[in-house]
Amino acid sequence: MSSGHRSTYPAQIDAPGLIRDLFSEKGAVAIAVVVLVIGAIAGYLAWRGTRRFLVSQGVDDAVEGTLFERTVNNVGLSTVGILSQLMALAVYIVSVIVAVNVAQLGDPQLFWTRFVDLLPRLFIAALAIILGLIVGDKAELVVNERLKSVKLPEASLLAEVVKYSIYYIAALVALGQLGVATAALLILLAVYAFGLVFLSGLALKDLLAAGAAGMYLLLTQPYSIGDEVKIDGTRGIVQEINVFVTHVESDGEEYIIPNQRVFKSGIVRIRG
Amino acid sequence: MSGFEDFLDQFAADVDGACLFSPSSSVYESFDDLDRPLVVVGPENTVSADDFVELPLEFSNPTERVRFGIEGAVQQGLVDEEMTLLCALKSFGDDIDTVMRVRAGEFSRSGVYDLFVNSRAESSVVRNVLEVAVELGKKGQKGKPVGALFVVGDAGKVMNKSRPLSYNPFEKSHVHVGDPIVNVMLKEFSRLDGAFVISDSGKIVSAYRYLEPSAQGVDIPKGLGTRHMAAAGVTRDTNAIAIVLSESDGLVRAFKGGELILELDPEDY
Repeated sequence: MSSGHRSTYPAQIDAPGLIRDLFSEKGAVAIAVVVLVIGAIAGYLAWRGTRRFLVSQGVDDAVEGTLFERTVNNVGLSTVGILSQLMALAVYIVSVIVAVNVAQLGDPQLFWTRFVDLLPRLFIAALAIILGLIVGDKAELVVNERLKSVKLPEASLLAEVVKYSIYYIAALVALGQLGVATAALLILLAVYAFGLVFLSGLALKDLLAAGAAGMYLLLTQPYSIGDEVKIDGTRGIVQEINVFVTHVESDGEEYIIPNQRVFKSGIVRIRG
Repeated sequence: MSGFEDFLDQFAADVDGACLFSPSSSVYESFDDLDRPLVVVGPENTVSADDFVELPLEFSNPTERVRFGIEGAVQQGLVDEEMTLLCALKSFGDDIDTVMRVRAGEFSRSGVYDLFVNSRAESSVVRNVLEVAVELGKKGQKGKPVGALFVVGDAGKVMNKSRPLSYNPFEKSHVHVGDPIVNVMLKEFSRLDGAFVISDSGKIVSAYRYLEPSAQGVDIPKGLGTRHMAAAGVTRDTNAIAIVLSESDGLVRAFKGGELILELDPEDY
């Protein structure tokens, strides 16, 4: 990051110097004022543009009912308003910095090193927090909606896990941007992700095997509904084939056979 | 005026329970403290009632709707056949405007509820196929009336007991009834001869199928053609149900166990 900045320093510091060469001292101050005015207008335009863009994308409807939206609603704001004001604020601050530089009030070196380094990070951190809160909440709502038909109290736990995972990642991004040491938190995240992958792999092993075999069976259809087959010693008429299981029925008994067993034992098709 | 109120009092006297058909939540809550059985009947349980009978079709005829609801309630054991029930339903408007007083055991069991709930195929599949048949009956194929025969459920046995008339257009396809494209597809394929075979989960297994059931002893109303005879026969030999759109009179009929269960006029929907 720092090396990138150093290379841009001369160009940026030259700009006010150039203005100083072209105009008098007073002229530089006047230009600084002009820059401020332009900044104010640009900031207003940025606010309006962002607002309009967000509304046209349906963001205001999308975030409706999430925790963040409700919280900011309580203090008389809205998510769209905050995001667009953030945008405008960024433009204002940039214009102030440029103006200060042009007028050469104070030490420009100090400004560039302190603010330029910190400001974008602050913005990204704030954005990450806002986005994290919204996406986390939204994800919880979506997962809950999906699991609505499963009338199990434990099912809502999954939605909570999803929500807090997203919060956690958002917080990590924000803290990382602010330069707080996040190594420990990162390791925790890695352990958590590994655990999730490992455990779900362990739990879904059979389902994955059945799914892979089922894909082949559905694509090539070595046997189809209505065929008489013998699978692993079970003889009957195929009633149904889906991704995970095959239903075979004989004499009022319906066998539901996992597809990987079909694959492992092979199929005997009985032609009559 | 008092005569009128007396009549209403008498009408509602010693009723053993109530059936509400698609009530709004305010109507449902007004029955909250009822100490007798209260059954909600509707396409969806919008009021989260404990006793609920799902209506798979919007029966436009109120008596059909009441019949289905009460048959369902009796079968689920929510009410018993001795009870006198008050049924409140919507006949014309969007609010409840009709009240009926019926005895639960009054109907001869038609098996309509059975057709949907106790068939091998899922009830949503049965409903989707009925909807396709009704739609086909309404519009026909390019304005001309068409006939069609759908055999739903127990597809393995049906396929095993039938033979193809030609290449199966649905071979190696994975379309299910209820997919948006299917209605158009079935409409196009309805000009083909033979039956459509649909599995328990709604997969369209085959078209162009020649059913070979023995029609011996199949008892269906006289005047129905070979398509209905084949439908009745196949449902007697297998655990499938059959939904038939008649080409001649345009009615949709459903068969189960070799018997005619349901008769619908597509124009009513």
